[in-house]
Amino acid sequence: MATEFITKTKAAIAQLTDPSLSVEGIDITNCDREPIHIPSAIQPHGIMLVLSDRGNKREWRIVSVSQNSAQHLGISAKSLLDKPLSQLLNHSQIEQVKSCLDRAFEAVNPLQLEIQAASSVQLFTAVVHRSGEFVILELEPTDKKESVTFFDFHSLVKRSLSLIQQTTDLTKLCQVAVEEVQRITGFDRVMVYRFDKDESGTVVAEIKQPDMPSYLGLRYPATDIPKQAKYLYILNLLRLIPDVHYQPVTMVSVPSLETKATPIDMSLSSLRSVSPVHIEYLVNMGVQASMSVSLVQDNQLWGLLVCHHNTPRSVSYERRTTCEFLAQVIALELRAKVENEDADYKLNLKTIQMSLTKALLQSESLEEGLTRDAQNLLSLTSSTGAAFCSKNQIKLIGHTPKLAEIEAMMTWLGSRFEQGSIYHTAALGEAYPPAQTFESTTSGLVALAISRVQRLYVLWFRPEVLQTVSWAGEPGKLTELGDSGEVYLSPRQSFERWQQTVIGRSLPWKECEVEAALELRTAVIGLVLQKADELSQLNSELERSNVELDSFAYIASHDLKEPLRGIHNYSSFLIEDYGNELGEDGVDKLNTLMRLTQRMEDLISSLLHYSRLGRSDLSIATVDLNEVVSEVVELVGMNNPDNVSVEVPRSLPVVECDRIQIAELFTNLITNAIKYNSKAQKRIEVGYSTETTADPGRMVFYIQDNGIGIRKKHIETIFRIFKRLHAANRFGGGTGAGLTISKKIVERHGGQLWVDSVYGEGSTFYFTLEAAKHG
Amino acid sequence: MASTNSPYLLVVEDSDEDFEALNRVLGRHCEIEVPLRRCYDGDEALDFLYHKGDYAETETIGPPSLILLDLNMPGSNGREVLQQLKQDEQLRVIPVVVFTTSSNPKDIETCYRHGANSYLIKPMKVQQLKSSVCQLLNYWFGVTTLPETALSATALKRSA
Repeated sequence: MATEFITKTKAAIAQLTDPSLSVEGIDITNCDREPIHIPSAIQPHGIMLVLSDRGNKREWRIVSVSQNSAQHLGISAKSLLDKPLSQLLNHSQIEQVKSCLDRAFEAVNPLQLEIQAASSVQLFTAVVHRSGEFVILELEPTDKKESVTFFDFHSLVKRSLSLIQQTTDLTKLCQVAVEEVQRITGFDRVMVYRFDKDESGTVVAEIKQPDMPSYLGLRYPATDIPKQAKYLYILNLLRLIPDVHYQPVTMVSVPSLETKATPIDMSLSSLRSVSPVHIEYLVNMGVQASMSVSLVQDNQLWGLLVCHHNTPRSVSYERRTTCEFLAQVIALELRAKVENEDADYKLNLKTIQMSLTKALLQSESLEEGLTRDAQNLLSLTSSTGAAFCSKNQIKLIGHTPKLAEIEAMMTWLGSRFEQGSIYHTAALGEAYPPAQTFESTTSGLVALAISRVQRLYVLWFRPEVLQTVSWAGEPGKLTELGDSGEVYLSPRQSFERWQQTVIGRSLPWKECEVEAALELRTAVIGLVLQKADELSQLNSELERSNVELDSFAYIASHDLKEPLRGIHNYSSFLIEDYGNELGEDGVDKLNTLMRLTQRMEDLISSLLHYSRLGRSDLSIATVDLNEVVSEVVELVGMNNPDNVSVEVPRSLPVVECDRIQIAELFTNLITNAIKYNSKAQKRIEVGYSTETTADPGRMVFYIQDNGIGIRKKHIETIFRIFKRLHAANRFGGGTGAGLTISKKIVERHGGQLWVDSVYGEGSTFYFTLEAAKHG
Repeated sequence: MASTNSPYLLVVEDSDEDFEALNRVLGRHCEIEVPLRRCYDGDEALDFLYHKGDYAETETIGPPSLILLDLNMPGSNGREVLQQLKQDEQLRVIPVVVFTTSSNPKDIETCYRHGANSYLIKPMKVQQLKSSVCQLLNYWFGVTTLPETALSATALKRSA
């Protein structure tokens, strides 16, 4: 164990406890503050010596000793005090003790020491460790016959290890643990006691004498073991009480130590005297001897191996160490077993996760990907309801609280994510009291924040499940408020089953379910990044193809026009030079040739214009459309006779647009309206609608004519480039690009262009533009 | 062909058809008669102006009074020729009129930025060609005064 961890844990114990409380003063009202690490007393089955090298570096002096020294050594405590250790041990023994301190504690302890007692030589098991400025030497008398050699140790643990390795799940592991510890120690009852998150504990494995009542499945409240005791269980993995009716043996110390405020810290000591409350507890249970071995995982107390005996029972240091060793092996195995727990279920979760990821890949939106297969989303956490919450809407799946209830909960929920991206509770009503009234009695919630900035959350709900907990005795009776308001603790009197029905709780969320939800977030974020990547690649490809299109258009403009101009010019030269010889017919044909080249040039120019339209930047300004329309009408009017009327029934609004492009749009549409019109009086109306569109910032404009109209089947095709409905020389000609260009202009302004038409009666072209913000 | 010292117009044009049309219009329809020299592409034009390559021996030929420059040509195109001429202390005074098919605003902008004196889009119709070319010659050789270094080009009036 790292020294730093030991120091920290000791500090935690010191903070929890009150050193001024003496053993005599401890009762159930203050045992949670009992300084159990500094009892100033030990159990009588050994001797404790406290040594100091202060004053004389070369020699250890005995500064404190347990008062039972006469009993074990035949030398009174008083006569040992302030004496050098050499009084008791010979030089080589002292060197052995010293060398133990130089190396790792577990690797060398214990030592076997032979000490000359009053009449005979007594063999002791000695354990040595440091406590602050002192060295603590604990001696337990041992019988040579009982001591375990390395080979005994090997045969003791070999069987246990092999059995442990064969176990497949947690329950079996714990069962093997209790059986093996019972085999090694011979205790009447051995249990594995597992701590829950709320620090209460449950007996998860048990082996006992047939006539004893079973404690398997019983739950013990957190208050049964005070916090400081839990810390001590981490520091000192094994505690033995050979006889609960022991008389604590007090320590006598040199005067300088006696006056110290804080007695010797016995956290790491195995002889340390235990709390009278704990003794009372054991006595109430009918236990005469007890041993507990800690199951520690990642410096956390996962559980305890607890041994009880109906009569006093001692266990040799070696057998204790074997149990401690087994407990460490079991603790190591725990992780694998816990992970192995529900292996099939976890595999199933992985499958669901993969299918969700696949759905996300194929979906247009996050919402669609997550909710397309609702059952999948629910199965990921074994929930009965879920909600997908995005910035402005919530989608509900299965049994959930009402929409308004979830909406109201969002603010509270938003502050639950300070620690990470996930929050979960099996008792929502406790964490968020308004949830107690949720109609569907939702008690379990897992909330996943995919993006807090974008307020993207996925919530999973579980209903309330009435659960029965078997307490070992009524937990409510353990902590009672006394008259003056202090917490009144009573040591357990009854260990009979007491069943409690727990309300307002769902089944607890398994770690793997919470992890599955978290992994979903990782998958979503991965996908978002991937999409962004694809998009940027697409963009660069688009950019390249735009550049290619640009150069294509450029080549078209030059290389196609040049031969065209040649044809045109040479035709003209032919007419000039040889017109007379060719005759009227020949000249006519050459003129047609020239007209065709002219037409082709128009087409090329339109194409160029169209391709450039998409590439040039818009210069957006606030434009009064009345001005634009009157300019266009004036321009168009120059080439048109009097039989055309353009009406603007009410003043047009001000819009945000590129003035030149919008003027071109009006020119194209008005020109078309005049061109494709065979009526004697051509009427055109320019106006706009005040009806709100899907996008409130946009207005719908229209240009209505009484022209030839468009057959329904052609309505869409007219917008295709160079798609003409009429012969090139009818209706005044044209390249067939005007409407395509118009559509592009509107689309570049973020709007839409469409047409309604009655064949033979006229057409109405509609387009949307953004209204000026202040207009 | 112009004699070595008289003012002349340098036409840089790769298209024979375009050159013939220009030549024809110049000869038949314009009041002002200006001798022509033709280079087929940008590289030749630069050789001609710097008396290099095939033109190493022609140092007696002075610079032209006006250059009519096509933009898209094989080898060094018109843009490069224009850039080089306008960076040259001696030659930058010669007016350069870009005469091209390209109506791309980017080309127009680039040419003026690089010092083109005028930009003319080759018209499609013969009638328009005639009028453009004649106006051009009339302006540069009749209306404006050209710099001394461009060999005090004086237009020769065509005996009408």
